Amino acid sequence: MSMLSTLELSPQSLDAEAPVRIAVKNLDFYYGEHKALKNINLDFRDRHVTALIGPSGCGKSTLLRIFNRIYSLYPEQRAEGEIMLDGRNIISNDVDVNELRSRVGMVFQKPTPFPMSIYDNVAFGIRLYEKPPKSELDDRVEGALRRAALWDEVKDKLKSSGMGLSGGQQQRLCIARTIAQKPEVILFDEPTSALDPISTGKIEDLLEQLKSDFTIAIVTHNMQQAARISQYTAFMYLGEVIEFAPTNTIFMNPAKKQTQDYVTGRFG
Amino acid sequence: MTMTTSSPRELPHQPWGRVRQSRRAADRMMKIIATGFTFTAIFVLFWILGMLVVKGIGGLSLATFTAVTPGPGTEGGGLANAIVGSFVLTFLGIAIATPIGVLAGTWLAEYGRGSKLANLIRFINDILLSAPSILIGLFVYVILVEPFRGYSGWAGGVALGIIAIPVIVRTTEDMLSLVPSHLREAGAALGAPPSVVITSVTWRAAKAGMVTGILLALARIAGETAPLLFTALNNNFWFSPTLVGGVSNLPVTIYQFASAPYENWQQLAWAGSLIITVSILVLSLVARRIVAGSK
Amino acid sequence: MTAATDMTSIPGATPIVRKAPKATFDLVFRNASFAAALLVLVLLAAIMVSMVIGGWPAFREFGLGFITSSVWDTQNDQYGAWPAIVGTLSTALIALVIGVPLSLGIAVYLTQLAPAWFKKPVATAIELLAAVPSIIYGMWGLFVFVPLFAAYVQIPLSNIVEGMPIVGTVLYSRSPSGLGIFTAGIILAFMIVPFIASITRDMLEQIPSVLRESAYGIGATTWEVVRHVLVPQAGVSIIGAVMLGLGRALGETMAVTFVVGNANRLSASILDPGSTIASRIANEFNEALGLQLNALIALGCILFFVTFVVLVIARLLVARVKRY
Repeated sequence: MSMLSTLELSPQSLDAEAPVRIAVKNLDFYYGEHKALKNINLDFRDRHVTALIGPSGCGKSTLLRIFNRIYSLYPEQRAEGEIMLDGRNIISNDVDVNELRSRVGMVFQKPTPFPMSIYDNVAFGIRLYEKPPKSELDDRVEGALRRAALWDEVKDKLKSSGMGLSGGQQQRLCIARTIAQKPEVILFDEPTSALDPISTGKIEDLLEQLKSDFTIAIVTHNMQQAARISQYTAFMYLGEVIEFAPTNTIFMNPAKKQTQDYVTGRFG
Repeated sequence: MTMTTSSPRELPHQPWGRVRQSRRAADRMMKIIATGFTFTAIFVLFWILGMLVVKGIGGLSLATFTAVTPGPGTEGGGLANAIVGSFVLTFLGIAIATPIGVLAGTWLAEYGRGSKLANLIRFINDILLSAPSILIGLFVYVILVEPFRGYSGWAGGVALGIIAIPVIVRTTEDMLSLVPSHLREAGAALGAPPSVVITSVTWRAAKAGMVTGILLALARIAGETAPLLFTALNNNFWFSPTLVGGVSNLPVTIYQFASAPYENWQQLAWAGSLIITVSILVLSLVARRIVAGSK
Repeated sequence: MTAATDMTSIPGATPIVRKAPKATFDLVFRNASFAAALLVLVLLAAIMVSMVIGGWPAFREFGLGFITSSVWDTQNDQYGAWPAIVGTLSTALIALVIGVPLSLGIAVYLTQLAPAWFKKPVATAIELLAAVPSIIYGMWGLFVFVPLFAAYVQIPLSNIVEGMPIVGTVLYSRSPSGLGIFTAGIILAFMIVPFIASITRDMLEQIPSVLRESAYGIGATTWEVVRHVLVPQAGVSIIGAVMLGLGRALGETMAVTFVVGNANRLSASILDPGSTIASRIANEFNEALGLQLNALIALGCILFFVTFVVLVIARLLVARVKRY
């Protein structure tokens, strides 16, 4: 139990009455013949951070990659069941995946600046769906860069390539690029695993602020990180959700033995 | 453990269907065009192969492989001397290129690795790899045909060898670079000098890839025509065993017979085209299989 | 140990006869491989020198006029390279205009669109297209493509454009035989496609999949991902691949010789017969004597330097990406 005492838990900013943004019902997922996710049922509350934790290979990244259907780039992968977002089952074929992805942004493990200027990186997603006048576009880009706490560092070199930034700056650029599009949900797939501790701290601060506007789902292998930044946590193991509860409950008073073993570091 | 959706307040959201038609249309258009282009290229391949079979198969008979190429106005005839001549020239080229190419590739990968000279040689080799083959023919004409006052099989073999060398250098180096360095270290740790480590450990580990390189070089030079025009030339006889004087060969025979006014010549040109293309494509497929098998 | 004083039982005390491997073999092997590597440099230098020396009498005789003159008169021993240079450049240019979009389309299809089971056979087919010998393209061009091209493109097109300004000159063929600069360009296009396509495919495949995913992740369509992210990321290396194709198109001989028409005069129409440097060498070399021979080698010298520059640029651009 010594580990739990070292965890700084997030303030209980949890609103139990918050509406559900993403509702997952009876979701199964397959890599070819292999069933990787089994009967997942989860609700993601609007303007809350939900963390997905579990040992590697438990399916947490797989689950995250369903919400924007990025998995459908790979023909051998398929999902069955129901994920309701904005009144639609997003895994049904009649949903336009591109539009879905403009509503559900994603930030990846490694920073992925596009081969274009910093400005164009941020403007790219806006331009795909909207045709704002130049001045409004400038404002949106600046706003997004400010939200991502990157504006001051790049405001004098907006025209230079995004690849020239440091790793932590690149990751914040990717966050700016995502929020510029005004998505409803942002998915973070271990966004700090490739970063140093200082950059990690900046990204975590950012997440805390972003949740006032977005529904956030984050996959992390770092339990302290999950405890610090999330309000809800789902513990996954072998393709199943073992336990889903407010983060404090998961870490302080888990209902399942497996959860307790994992959060106290006994396995995983 | 699932949270119950107790109060499903309707969340504000933008209506679906925001993807502009023009974006979808551009995407669909691009997909159709890219697919169409790919099938165009495949179609051309099968068109060429189909043409060779249709026009060439009629010219294939026993005589094709036993009789000598006919003179102007002579009936019948075959391709025997041209086929054998092509074999001789091609293997002469490979015999010249293999030791040089393998050794040079070995030096680049083992001794010179990372040095400025090695980088320069690799760069020049890559340029030779794509140099026009007709220039190689001119070069060999200047150094071997003109000074000795006569075409020869040797000149043809050297020209083909020069074309094959860069292919072998490149694949040898690439394959040796893939051999993990701990194998070399293990060899050296037993006290083996570098030459022994290379010949008995590194080469052995990279064998399949190196053989592939040689087969690819073979496929590359087997159909070369331009460099033989001014070196081995061509004629309608069996060549001298000393390879002095013109040596008949398939590609130049095809070139000379294809647009000649004699029907049997044209027929033989098609038969020769079929033979040479099938051999080269089979050789390329075998080479690819070896690479795939060794991985 | 009773034998404590017996020195001979201590390992190493008896001198084991170790036969050192022969140092000579090591030295010979090393020097031989070094010599072989140097031979690559020597070859290129020798080709360059032999072209310059072989062509020198022609360069000396005609000076700069050798390049700018359009006369090719074996009777009076007057030689100018201009029509062949123009023919070489225009066939190669036409090949690029047709071949580059084809190649990029194929590379995109292979990396983004093809179903997994279909990728390998398609890639193999494209690479076999590269293995087909040049002379076979010539046969296909002359006996299959040329008649079709004359009947279905050249003649109708000439009828349409006749009398029109500019296009009436550039696209009108005086002798619609199917042979000509444009036909050679089309055949060349199919010959360079496999090279450009497979290098471009390799470049696109080297791009980390997470970049591709994040471009899709922002809601871009396949076309937008390719155009705005993947192609710029592969960047100059694609230009390098195109330059490699150009180098090949410039020096291609047999296929062009079959279909280009081998006319010595320069025509304003790209549908008319012409000649390229390589086709002219292939056609005339064996009957050439004296100054004509030198003029042909001088043509080869020009071809050498043009392709050399193109290939150097190509290799520099392609190599740039490997450092990623």
